[in-house]
Amino acid sequence: MATETPPPDKATEPRPDSENQTGDASGKHGTAGELYGYLAEYDTPGELVEAARKVKDAGFTEFDAYSPFPVHGIDPAMGIKRTILPLLIFGGGFVGATSGILLQWYCNAYSWGWNISGKPTWSIPANIPIAYELTILLAVLTSFFGMWGLNKLPQVWHPLFRSDRFLRVTDDGFFIGIEAKDKRFDVDKTKALLGDAGAIDIEPVYYDPDPAKKAMPKWIMAFIVASTAFALIPFAIAAKARNSHSAEPHVHIFPDMDFQPKFKSDTANDLFADGRSNRGEIPGTVARGWLEEDTTFYLGLTAETGGQWIDGFPASYPDSPSLTPDLRGKPFVVDAKLLKRGQNRFNIYCTPCHGYDGRGQGMVPTRVKEQGGVWLARNLVDKAGPVVFLPNGQLFNTITNGFPPTMMGYGAQIPAADRWAIVAYVRALERSQIASNEDQAGQR
Amino acid sequence: MSLTRTVHPDDKFKAGKLGSTMVKAGLGLAVIMMVVSLVLGSMHNDGFKRFLYAYVVGWSFIVSISIGMLWLVLLHHLTRSRWSTVVRRIAEAIAGAFTVVFIGGLGFALPVLFGNKSLYYWATDDAHNAALNPTLAHKLGWLSPGAWFVRYCIYGAIYIGISWYFAKKSREQDESGDPKISDTLRRVSGPAMILFALTTCLMSMDVLMSLAPKWYSTIYGVDFWGSACVGGFATLGLIVLWVQRNGRLTHSITEEHYHDIGKWMFTFTFFWAYTAFSQFMLQWYGNMPEETVWYKYRMFGDWQWVSIAILVGYWAFPFIFLMSRWTKRIVPSLVFFSVWQLVFHWLDMYWNAMPSYDWTKATHGGATLVEGPLMNQIALHHVGFTPLDITVWLALVGVLLVGIGRNLTGNLIPIKDPTLGLSLAHEQL
Repeated sequence: MATETPPPDKATEPRPDSENQTGDASGKHGTAGELYGYLAEYDTPGELVEAARKVKDAGFTEFDAYSPFPVHGIDPAMGIKRTILPLLIFGGGFVGATSGILLQWYCNAYSWGWNISGKPTWSIPANIPIAYELTILLAVLTSFFGMWGLNKLPQVWHPLFRSDRFLRVTDDGFFIGIEAKDKRFDVDKTKALLGDAGAIDIEPVYYDPDPAKKAMPKWIMAFIVASTAFALIPFAIAAKARNSHSAEPHVHIFPDMDFQPKFKSDTANDLFADGRSNRGEIPGTVARGWLEEDTTFYLGLTAETGGQWIDGFPASYPDSPSLTPDLRGKPFVVDAKLLKRGQNRFNIYCTPCHGYDGRGQGMVPTRVKEQGGVWLARNLVDKAGPVVFLPNGQLFNTITNGFPPTMMGYGAQIPAADRWAIVAYVRALERSQIASNEDQAGQR
Repeated sequence: MSLTRTVHPDDKFKAGKLGSTMVKAGLGLAVIMMVVSLVLGSMHNDGFKRFLYAYVVGWSFIVSISIGMLWLVLLHHLTRSRWSTVVRRIAEAIAGAFTVVFIGGLGFALPVLFGNKSLYYWATDDAHNAALNPTLAHKLGWLSPGAWFVRYCIYGAIYIGISWYFAKKSREQDESGDPKISDTLRRVSGPAMILFALTTCLMSMDVLMSLAPKWYSTIYGVDFWGSACVGGFATLGLIVLWVQRNGRLTHSITEEHYHDIGKWMFTFTFFWAYTAFSQFMLQWYGNMPEETVWYKYRMFGDWQWVSIAILVGYWAFPFIFLMSRWTKRIVPSLVFFSVWQLVFHWLDMYWNAMPSYDWTKATHGGATLVEGPLMNQIALHHVGFTPLDITVWLALVGVLLVGIGRNLTGNLIPIKDPTLGLSLAHEQL
């Protein structure tokens, strides 16, 4: 720019300033190319506004005011029409809202409808957030780029930049520049007008004699061209990839992330004799604490060989890492907490067939019946049995291993401690459904 | 142009008899309309239940206007605003109406305290029936007439205290011109804003939301505040205009200030819609029975038309038109939208409260019990609009005018506020 590359003959012919200025535009400016116009500086924003009003009233149209910050009232003083930017922003927002709705309609309802729990594929409330975001996005982008575009920014090659004083326009300088191309421009009268309006400094500004410097500097143009071209590279690669075939392997941008020094499960591996990367349990071994040697707790049997189903509950929880820390090695207590836990697990795992009341009329038998089929689920609280007569250990075993053909075992899903909680809850459920006279007496 | 300006020599900034005129008008309106309302209310033969519901709607309307303006006063100090200095005294007057408003609110608060069970379902004996209302039991300590009334008094005390303090300090500055008072108020405004937010949130829950005590919403207080600010700024614009039409502040308040009042009204029109939709969409999408029931009664049947009217009238129409610059700068246009938004603000309060009006009898275990609001077929719920709703509303608007008029005394602008010059010279970019 002009300030970075001073005119070559600046040293021999000083530029005009407020002291020695003659008002002769053909004058002594060392680098005098074509006259751009006059630049006048004012002391305060208030004076700037008054001066702008005078320039406007004198009939000038090709002039502009420059200040470090927005000045209230400068627009009417300069006779500038209100900007159309709000309308553009409204348009941007409107396009955002409609395109947001259309996008979702096309994706969700038209092109690729998914049935999610029977919900409709097209429903306005669900689409509002996206439409809202797009409204904001397009309105803001229109606002940002519209402001730059309407102000013809960025202008890094403006002739006024050749004035040293003008550099202060981003700090504390207030300027009016009148262009020579204005029909009313007259070298002497215009200068007098600016001076009458209270200018503290007036100077003529000339275009750079180098015609190349009237336009955008080459390095900026080169940067724009280069960065645009660079930005197109990914699109070009994608376009090429979509329209050609390749036998080459994928490009790996982070190879040490894609190829980690480990074996993934269930993959082939020729390191081991069986050709698998999975290493199963070694036959005849059990991890520490997982032996499940406590037959009462894990099987519901009494301790001796060939034991019987136990009638009560295990005396204590085994000290095994398979149990939660609050239970390990603790005595087995049948209390409200255990029953609550049992109820919770029962409601999750057992109610679909046995129902919440245990009468075997859960949703599965009910719906099978509606379809005309038969699905029998045991009435757990039938006074006539058999469940009420089962020893606790056998009930536990049934939960673990199931009751073919319809009931599968739940040993894999429900840990042993929870199975015992369910046993306790089923006992409570039975008691609630077939209470004895003594039980009821106890209630009162 | 200049950045600051002094008060125009011809400007009348003394209230004179302006306040007492408003008090007289408000008192007349309140007394006449309240008598009419009591007659109409007794004709309903429902133990004044409809009357009390209309009272809650009208009272929410007037208290929300004071809440909106108290918020403006707090925000003014918190952000060192400049544009609002010239209208701050009038905003303080509207916020200062809290004393009268909370005394006026005793019209429904005292019946609740003294055992009227027709307004709030949680006050009934049947609310305690665990078989009928298993999900209500844990709320009944908070929602009991005594605790509720104590909180009503606390909310009133906090609002009155904050608005009184800020108005008093502002008047002190009129006398002394001490700029340090502005600094003090700025420091106080931060904590006061937090206290204000909590109070507004809890009060809206107690007064309006607990009409449907089994319903849940955590954004309710924010939604109420957004709606309150729409009403507050609409009222501010109208009262400023009324003050100017009576020859006061004719040079001090210009279209630039009306423009800012309009901008705030526009802002909160959208903010209210944003929170209202947030509340709706989470509950609609979540599809939990205890939440959706509240919307079920507003989306189907009679009430859907009120909902649509609010969506279009309270949001879409004013949103589109208030977006433009001229609608806020041309005073008749701003007046139109202010009145329009006040009507719809009332309708919004009505829409919040009235669907809970219909309770039903139910039999449970052989006994006849009263089931709470939103507990029956939609087809049995009607908008049931009556003239009573309007007369009670107007009576309470009279109460609000009495409250505002009392404060319209002395200087109508803070004449020695350090930012007054900037505010007088305020211009939009």
